[in-house]
Amino acid sequence: MSEPELLDLIKVVVDRIATSKGTSAPKILPNTALLGGGLPIDSLDLASLVVELEQATGRDPFKAGFVDFRTAGELAQLYLR
Amino acid sequence: MPLPLDVEPDAPLLLRGAQSTTRADVQGRATQLESCLSLRGVTRLLVKSDQPVHILSAIDAATRLGADVWIAHTDLSSHVIDDIVREHRIGAIVSSDDATATDIAPTTASSQICLMTSGTTGRPKVAAHAQEHFLGRFASQPSLPALSGSRWLLTYQPTTFAGLQMLLTSVYATGILVLPDERTPQGFLNAAQLHGVTHISGTPTFWRSLLMVMPPGSLRDLQQATLGGEAIDQVTLDRIRLAFPRARTTHIYASTEAGVVFAVNDGQAGFPAHWLTDGVQGSQLRIRDGLLEVRSPRKMTGYLGQAVSTPFVDDGWLRTADRVAVEGDRVHFVGRLDSVINVGGAKVDPFSVEAFLLSLQGVTEARVAGVRNQLTGFVVAADVVLAPGLDPDAARQRILAACYQRLPGTHVPRVLRIVDAVPVLDSWKKAV
Repeated sequence: MSEPELLDLIKVVVDRIATSKGTSAPKILPNTALLGGGLPIDSLDLASLVVELEQATGRDPFKAGFVDFRTAGELAQLYLR
Repeated sequence: MPLPLDVEPDAPLLLRGAQSTTRADVQGRATQLESCLSLRGVTRLLVKSDQPVHILSAIDAATRLGADVWIAHTDLSSHVIDDIVREHRIGAIVSSDDATATDIAPTTASSQICLMTSGTTGRPKVAAHAQEHFLGRFASQPSLPALSGSRWLLTYQPTTFAGLQMLLTSVYATGILVLPDERTPQGFLNAAQLHGVTHISGTPTFWRSLLMVMPPGSLRDLQQATLGGEAIDQVTLDRIRLAFPRARTTHIYASTEAGVVFAVNDGQAGFPAHWLTDGVQGSQLRIRDGLLEVRSPRKMTGYLGQAVSTPFVDDGWLRTADRVAVEGDRVHFVGRLDSVINVGGAKVDPFSVEAFLLSLQGVTEARVAGVRNQLTGFVVAADVVLAPGLDPDAARQRILAACYQRLPGTHVPRVLRIVDAVPVLDSWKKAV
């Protein structure tokens, strides 16, 4: 998957989570902070986002341990490697 | 104490399709087996068959000889069986074909029925019960004569504790056991309809699958619906009561080790909290460290084998792996000790999430497990089976919305898959 495709997938998953919570998500850009910013997701939602990315790409960037990431773009980058 | 197979000897005991086995047929087989074992001086035998006729005739022959009998699950590998035969010095193996003597010299026997635990990989534990008590419970049960002529659908594997209970109940009640041609929901439904069963006992997973294939209004003659083998949720109980308005609904708490501990007949999940102080049906109950502990007169004498640790904690009390919680005047089962999902440090019982999902309209089956991730350790993942005709995407969104609104964040399935079926074990328990 390319970086734009990964960002699209992140948007789809975040939108779906937001809809489930009865709210909506603002536009997600590469520099949008995943937590503590304007997105209606918590760390558990982030975990589900990571699980979905792993299932879609077949890659697990966290296999060897936790890797730091903060924004949607940084998360997408992890799955490009 | 031989089995009472000479009562109404010509009555059918086992029905499978057009095939019928009478009580005398089983007794005749037992007599043959008895003389064969007696000639060879066999004092310990192992049954390696899941045919009720082989199991019942072996038990009958063993009681006549005062022999010990082991009932083996048929999915055990031959080297596991060999190990068990050698460790316990078993003199003969009864299989579908015949009885075969082993090369092991006869040893002393003490009239035991030895059952194997299931659900674990590798070697099963062997729970020994005294024949006298194990069978005596049936002989002395006052309600059994009233069940004469009843027809039970055998949903459990015959080699398990629950399956054996069904076999022996049919024998002692002079009832009939109905066997399916194939162990699928449709196979069970066909057998139940063909032979007009009056009693069905099965796991909650079995019942949900039966309800999925059953046209409404089927099996109108059903008098008794019994659940056991897994934790029981209220929604499944309610669905069964709705589908079979004339049947009494009972759930049974039993295990290979504890025997039958108690039966609940009030149609509510869990059991009355006053049973913790008053006891019930001869059993005593208590909660220790969140786990149910039981002291039952129907318990095993112990596990066989020296390397096996005992589940008895003190003075006949048996520690179960069932987590329970008192809510008002009811004790509820909340999950199994070994199935807790650790979500960011919070303990989530899959059963509680499954029960919630089943309570949602359009959900006919649910299976919950943990999926590992680096952020929170685990998150909850759920597979859900929908009622026919629902749009999967819309249903998915509706289910997730309900979860977010009504479950703690840690319990919300972060991975939700709509599937055609959940994996089920041969025992009709959900695979974990």
